[in-house]
Amino acid sequence: MANDPNSSVRFHPEYRTLPGGEREYMMDVRTADLEINMGPQHPATHGVMKILIRTDGEVVTAAQPHLGFLHRCAEKIGESVDWMQYLPYTDRYDYLASMNNNLGYSMAVEKVLDIEIPRRATMLRMICAELNRIASHLVAFCTYGIDMGAFTPFLYCFREREWILLLFEKICGARLTYSYLRIGGVFNDAPPGWLKEVGHFCDVFEEKWKDYRDLLLLNHIFVKRTADVGVITRQQALDFALIGPMMRGSGIDFDLRRDIPYLLYGEAYEDGAYKIPVGKGEMGQVGDCWDRTWVRVNEMMESIAIVRWCLENIEEGPVMGEIGKVLKVPPGEAYVGIENPRGELGHYVISNGGKIAVRCRVRGPSFCNLAILEDIMPGTFLADAVAIIGATDVVIGETDR
Amino acid sequence: MNFQGIYDHLEAKDAPGLVGTEEPRPKDPEDKKDKGRFGDACVIVEAAQLPEFLELCRDDEALAFEVLADLCGVDPGKDDEENFWVVIQLLSVAQRHRFMIKTKVPKARPELPTSSTVYRAAQWHEREAGEMYGIVFTGHPDPRNILLPDDWEGFPLRKDYEFPKEYHGISCE
Repeated sequence: MANDPNSSVRFHPEYRTLPGGEREYMMDVRTADLEINMGPQHPATHGVMKILIRTDGEVVTAAQPHLGFLHRCAEKIGESVDWMQYLPYTDRYDYLASMNNNLGYSMAVEKVLDIEIPRRATMLRMICAELNRIASHLVAFCTYGIDMGAFTPFLYCFREREWILLLFEKICGARLTYSYLRIGGVFNDAPPGWLKEVGHFCDVFEEKWKDYRDLLLLNHIFVKRTADVGVITRQQALDFALIGPMMRGSGIDFDLRRDIPYLLYGEAYEDGAYKIPVGKGEMGQVGDCWDRTWVRVNEMMESIAIVRWCLENIEEGPVMGEIGKVLKVPPGEAYVGIENPRGELGHYVISNGGKIAVRCRVRGPSFCNLAILEDIMPGTFLADAVAIIGATDVVIGETDR
Repeated sequence: MNFQGIYDHLEAKDAPGLVGTEEPRPKDPEDKKDKGRFGDACVIVEAAQLPEFLELCRDDEALAFEVLADLCGVDPGKDDEENFWVVIQLLSVAQRHRFMIKTKVPKARPELPTSSTVYRAAQWHEREAGEMYGIVFTGHPDPRNILLPDDWEGFPLRKDYEFPKEYHGISCE
């Protein structure tokens, strides 16, 4: 029996003689590390992204994310069009949380402009941002269910998300790319009866939320698949700058809304309107995939509480600050980081007094969150790779911008 | 701590490479051409000593900047024809404050030591700044392109970048 160098099965020339006189050849299977391209088209990567995974049998030994398939030059466009024109582009990096993207960019420009935003506009901004957070977390939560093999919650979550999108359609006419929060305030006032309907939505959602929790979050199979999987330690969360739900999942009590307050979140917190859910490792260790999901699910309820606080305190008044028709931003620079559903969305803008920005930097939370995969994937099972990517909750539009 | 408090603390600690500050100021009513400067304040740090400076910011208990929130390159255009800027945003989870650091590297030789040895989060941001501006971060463990293809020519976010006519036979016009 000759050894074929190309075959993965190699026969040793050695043999031993069995008691009957027959020869038994010693056979050996040559093992080698296997490289797997997960993506660019793979349902679990939640977009066009490739993860190069090296496996030794069932165990992942290295993982390397490859991005850029959806790169649309957002930062270059920011330096090419004028301040107002760039706003619709912000909708498109994290297309599940467009209201929050509008908010981040508007706040950065407003900081350089140094203008006051009317109180009613700020309240409307908060209501929209929080409703959008709920819609975004619903998608994150239900698609994670699909990754784990639970299809039913997906349909229920989209029912509630649809209601939020209808509310947004009523206030600004768009379902996904709103451009509703503008530099200086919001585009228009809420139509009659809109705030009342938001209140009704809050009441209904509270009941439905309990179903999601029982149906998926506390589901035995779901817990088995996610608890103790993909643990991110406290130190790793700080090193990789996973500001947002990922950091809170790792047991760090930090939320930009409360700790570096913007809009009226500081006032709402002082009123006791909301709490910050922090992962406690109830089902496994602190910082596992289940904890991150738990944080997101509980944040939905806190968002409802913030919306309720706004509905109670909102007053009549103007919804747009004093800005000129052609926006001229004085020289200066500002960095504003806000709490997006996925983490800190930072906008760093530089103006030299002209109509166009000198620099418009976007710090996408998904981009930073994705880097952790390089660190936590090695040593896990290949079957858990999907669980880890899903719990990171990346939106590829934002990693690539 | 506010910006002034952080700056005073750094000065008292004799921070390596600290050059000065850029702070917002209102418009000068006497000078008609002056428009003032608005927004956030930042400190200017010598590029060669950036890692030591960041290490001090991270390890000092009163500052406690555990998180590097953002790092980006800037081509300031007419504001500063000679240099590229590298701007870093630090965040402290324990102290709940932010801080902006700016370093300047000459356009003729855009090189500075990597910050990824101090903050792991800087690694991907530096790859992005590297491919977009051609800034070289010496000592970077993995200086490949991150968003652009490996064979991309030119540095797209530089102000003098010329858009390509075609890419691998695909017309870009």
